[in-house]
This record gives sequence, C-alpha cells and structure tokens, in this order.
Amino acid sequence: MSRAAEGRAGAGGAAATIDVDQALSLYRQMVLIRGVEVEIETLHKRGRMTGSFHSSMGQEACAAGVCAALRQSDIVTSNHRGHGHAVAKGIPIEGIFAELFGRSTGVSGGRGGSMHLHHRESGFLGENAIVAGGLPWAGGAAWARKKRGLTDVGVAFIGDGGFAQGVTHEVLLMARYWEAPLVIVCENNGLAHSMASERLFGEPGSITRIVEATGVRSEFVDGRDVIAVAETAAAMVEHARTVGPAFIECQVFRVKPHSLSDPDYRYREKDAGQAWLETHDPILALRRRLGEDQGEALDRIDAEVAEEVAAASAAAEAAPQTPVEAALENVYLTAELNKNG
Amino acid sequence: MAELKYAEAVRAALAAEMQADEDVLIMGEEVGALGGVFTTTKDLIEQFGPERVIDTPISESGFVGWSIGLAAEGFRPVVEIMFSDFVLLALDQIINLGAKVRFMSNGQFNVPLVIRMPGGGGTNHGPQHSQSLESIFAQVPGLIVAMPATAADAYWMLRDSIRCDDPVIFIESKGLYFREKGEVDESEGPRGFGARVARPGTDITVVSAARMLHRCIEAADALAAAGGPSCEVIDLRYIWPLDTDTIAASLAKTNKLAVIHEPVEFSGWGGEVAAWAAASQFEQLDGPIARLGARRVPIPFQPHLEDEVVPSVARIEATLSDLHGY
Ligand SMILES: Cc1ncc(C[n+]2csc(CCOP(=O)(O)OP(=O)(O)O)c2C)c(N)n1
Ligand SMILES: [Mg+2]
Repeated sequence: MSRAAEGRAGAGGAAATIDVDQALSLYRQMVLIRGVEVEIETLHKRGRMTGSFHSSMGQEACAAGVCAALRQSDIVTSNHRGHGHAVAKGIPIEGIFAELFGRSTGVSGGRGGSMHLHHRESGFLGENAIVAGGLPWAGGAAWARKKRGLTDVGVAFIGDGGFAQGVTHEVLLMARYWEAPLVIVCENNGLAHSMASERLFGEPGSITRIVEATGVRSEFVDGRDVIAVAETAAAMVEHARTVGPAFIECQVFRVKPHSLSDPDYRYREKDAGQAWLETHDPILALRRRLGEDQGEALDRIDAEVAEEVAAASAAAEAAPQTPVEAALENVYLTAELNKNG
Repeated sequence: MAELKYAEAVRAALAAEMQADEDVLIMGEEVGALGGVFTTTKDLIEQFGPERVIDTPISESGFVGWSIGLAAEGFRPVVEIMFSDFVLLALDQIINLGAKVRFMSNGQFNVPLVIRMPGGGGTNHGPQHSQSLESIFAQVPGLIVAMPATAADAYWMLRDSIRCDDPVIFIESKGLYFREKGEVDESEGPRGFGARVARPGTDITVVSAARMLHRCIEAADALAAAGGPSCEVIDLRYIWPLDTDTIAASLAKTNKLAVIHEPVEFSGWGGEVAAWAAASQFEQLDGPIARLGARRVPIPFQPHLEDEVVPSVARIEATLSDLHGY
C-alpha cells in the first residue's frame, strides 16, 4: 500500500481517539471560518470592502484540524488564502474584519488588508502575498524557539502552487539539516490559480512522496475529513516537537474562484465549486458523522457563530478609518530613520 | 588597537559583538570551519561554537528568510552572502519580507538583521562576482545601506549595524579587504549615520563611497599636486540614510558638485544626490553637476577591461578638471 493510501485508510480508524467535545469544537471552528469567508464575500459584493480576497471555502477542515493540534505559543505562517488559518489560530475575528475594512483596529493597523494579517499575540506570525514567501520565516522562528530551549513548533501553510517554489525545497532541506520543529502543511486544492496540480506533480499524494524522498516525515490526508486531519496533525506536530520537521499534504478543494473576480469558468466547469460542496462539504460530513444525537448542539453552534460573525463584522465596520498619517508609520524602529518617510 | 586590514576589521567587529551579545549569530555559506572565503569569519567558530557560527546550505533565499524568522524572534543574525551578486537570489525575502514586515504588521515584528556581502570589483572575479548593487537596496523603504570605505569604518559601522534594530544591507568592498588598512581605535565608539569629509578642499565637492572613495582621493591628490583644483572628498558611508547636511555644508564652500560611484551610472544612486542638489542647492551651484559611474556593461574579469568600465583614477581626474574649468 502506498504511503498516500495508508494515510487515507488511517483516517477512519483514527476517529476513535477524538471525543465528541473535540469534534464539536472542530465543527465550531469550521463553521466560524465558513461564516467569516461568506461574510467577507457578501461585504465585497455590496461594495463595502475594497481590494480583493481569496476565499478558503471548502478548505476549512485543514485549517481547523491542523490548528487544533497547536498551542497558543506555537507559531503559524500562512499564504494569500489565509483567513481560515488566522481564525483557527485564534485571531479575534473582529480584528480580521477590521483589517479588511482598513480600520486602525485591524490586526495590522488596517494597512495590510486580506493578505497581510499578522497577530503576534495568538502566534499568527503572518500571511504572505508571495507564494511560499512565509515558509522560511516559520522555519527560522521555530528554530529560534528551539534555540531558546522552548518546545514550540512552527507551522507553515502553503498551497500546491507553493510547492513549485524553489524556496520551499530550500526550507525543507534546511529544516531537516537543523532539525527544526517545523511542520509544512501543503493544502493541495488541485489548482494553482488555473494550473492543475495533477499535471504538475501527479495524482494527489505525489507531493507527499517527493517530500518523503528527502527524508522528512511526510503524510497525506483527506482534507474533507476534519477528524483525520486533526489526528494526522497531532501526530506530525508531536513529531516536530520531539524529533524534527514534518510535512502534511492535505487534499482539499477550492470551492470559490481563485479570487473575487477570477473567471474560473474559463478553466473548469461553471458550477464545479457548488457541485463539490453538495457532495463533499467537510462541515456537512462532520454533521452526518456526529449523527442525530448531536443535532441540537450543532444547531446551537450554527446560531452562535452566525451571531458572533454578524456582531464582529458590524463592530469592525463601525470603527474609524485608518488615519492617513498611518501610511508613514512603523517603517523603521530606529526613530531618526522615520523622518524621511 | 593595532592597525588592521579591512577584512580583519570586519572580523574584529563580528567578534566584538558576538562577545558583547549572546543573541548575535553568524550565518552563511562557509562561515564556519572555512572561516569565510574572504577570511572575515576566520576562527570565530572555534571561539563561539557551531551554535552561533552557522554554516548554511547554498540556499540564499531560504537562509536569508530563515534569518528574518530568527531576527523577528529577538536574535540578531549577521548573515554573510558570499558575493553580493548572490544576494539577488534572496531579494524576495529581503524586499518583500525583511524590509517591510515591521510596516505590514504595524510594528508587531521588527528585524534586527545585518546582511553582509562583498560588493564591487577590483579582484578580477568576473561579471557575476563583481557587481555594485547598492542602488537597488537604496530604493527600498525599511532598509539601511551601509558601505564602509576604511578599516576603521568597517569596524565601527559593522558594530553599529549589528546593534541597529532595523535591517542593514552591509556592503563591504571586496577590493579593499586586503589592500586597505588602518588604525582601529576601540575607544572611539559608535559613529551614527553621518557622512564624513575624507579629504578637505575648497573648489569642488566630490561625493563618493566605498572603493571609489580611494580613487577619488588619489585623483584629488594628483590634481592638487599638478596645481589643479582643490577637491573636498566626502565619504558617504551610508547610501541610505543619505547625509545631505554634510554635502550641503561642503557645497556652501565649493559651489561645485561631482558624484562618483562604482554602480552603473544610469539609475545609480549618484543621480539621487544630483537631483537633491539640483532641487535644493540650486543657489549654491556655480556649474553643472558632474556624474561618473560605471559604464552600462557587465564587469569584465580582466583588470584592464574592468578599469575601462568602472571609474578609473584617470577618468575621475578628467571629470574633475572639466568641472573645474567650467
Ligand atoms: C511569487 C508569486 N508568484 C505569483 C503570485 C500570484 N499568485 C497568487 S496565488 C497564486 C496561485 C497559488 O496557488 P497555490 O499555492 O496552490 O494556492 P491556492 O491559491 O490554490 O490556495 C498565484 C500564482 C504570487 N502571489 N506570488
Ligand atoms: Mg492550490
């Protein structure tokens, strides 16, 4: 059996070690991420947000499952499609909405927007708008923690497109060479914008095998199954904490177009996203799995999250716009250098 | 302290800061057992151990980004790029992350990082090992661009840079490593970002830096000996921040300005100095602003061809004589 197939097979069996409370908490995280992404899309469509954004709808199980294995002091770097990672790592969602609204109450002072969420307090080092650009930061920061005698790990999220970047391979080897406590999570959603990852790397699981050949521990997991992701992540995070780097290829699906205005009908079926969601939605899958018994608890979570999202969005929008002087702030820490700003 | 070669001064500064602050780390290719291809980290691994003097794989983008991660966690990495030309592989991490993560995170993260690299020519290393790339970095908000011309400055500017809380691109002149030497006085202390008058004069202000500074001084001495103009040569020391006060004070005396540097003249930092002077020192200027940089060709490896390309003492003399005669 291939390593990839083993990963899939292991997912079902792993369910036994996640109890109902943990499952409900994973459910809440996924619903929260979905709620945030849907709200952002709605706000954009109503013209109340500027810029663009990359929705992680459909990929919630990866963010929720991986971050469930982390402590607050563990650190995460992310990419352009990072709202889910930010939410799952615990950034207050009002700070995320405020950032996208360009408010000074945003986590990055309202100057970065959708692809530049940074929140030191929750261990979310940052998103990065350069594909795979956040990987070395995660490696260096995780290694710094180890050098300080701490047991924190770093997790770097990249996409399948990020696996095509040279720096990814540099970091893999450096992490192995220095035994850095780093977990690289590659969200293989089958597409890097319009480029099919199957054509570039081969069938799902191929990226796992490429990494395996470097000697870095590597697992493939079905990203529709949040329990399987959580189980795999827990094992890999533990490996990173105690041994050295690890890699997870998580097979997910990008429900929405690449970005807000992406004409994805040019490279895939018009309704591909909606069709997939109807049959494979990770949120519905967990709902089904938890069964009728939990129906009421799940409904309650849905209602609570809906309220939380609406309140956070409204509060964020009501905050004052970032003042224009803010554009010149925080370039240098050395005070005398900011005068030329 | 004794008289040190420029390369020895770099090494002494690294050793002093490693000694003073445990968070200072050295990273780069061949910085460990080998001691650096230009000997600037010689014996440091014996003194400070492999935990702090760290050999990296040949992955410039990866290890520069990694060092940004270390710096954002409070370490003070000093990264060596073997030849400045190789920094081009790491520009993404430097420009897209290191230079602006403080801005992007609204001050949550800052990057006390020094990226050292031997730049410029004079050692016949050829087109991919001899470029002068400082003008690229001077364009980038968030970076400081340091270029010492003397052993004493190599020592003090490097110590200042390691103590600086912002990322510094520290370009050493590889042509000066073993040719330039001078007294390094340990009691002097930090120097700040200002430029300095390297050779006083009254007729022309010559702004230069790094290896070309020495050619400018040589040309100025030759002109003076031949009864020509008296040139005041300014060593910028930092391309950014640019110390325009020192240039302005000199111009008030000389009323003529020449800018001479090793990067290609077109779009080189000399244009910035010239534009500043034209815009804000117009009343002081009694002549056109003279500029001299490398010709717009790659740097050939043979000495006589390289000298045809980068400003030679003879070309500098001619440029200054012309300006004097205006
Ligand atoms: C270095 C770089 N090149 C190109 C882009 C433009 N770009 C943004 S996202 C993207 C596709 C990334 O695909 P993947 O890594 O699979 O992530 P996904 O969008 O599928 O989540 C591209 C090409 C970029 N941001 N950075
Ligand atoms: Mg993708």
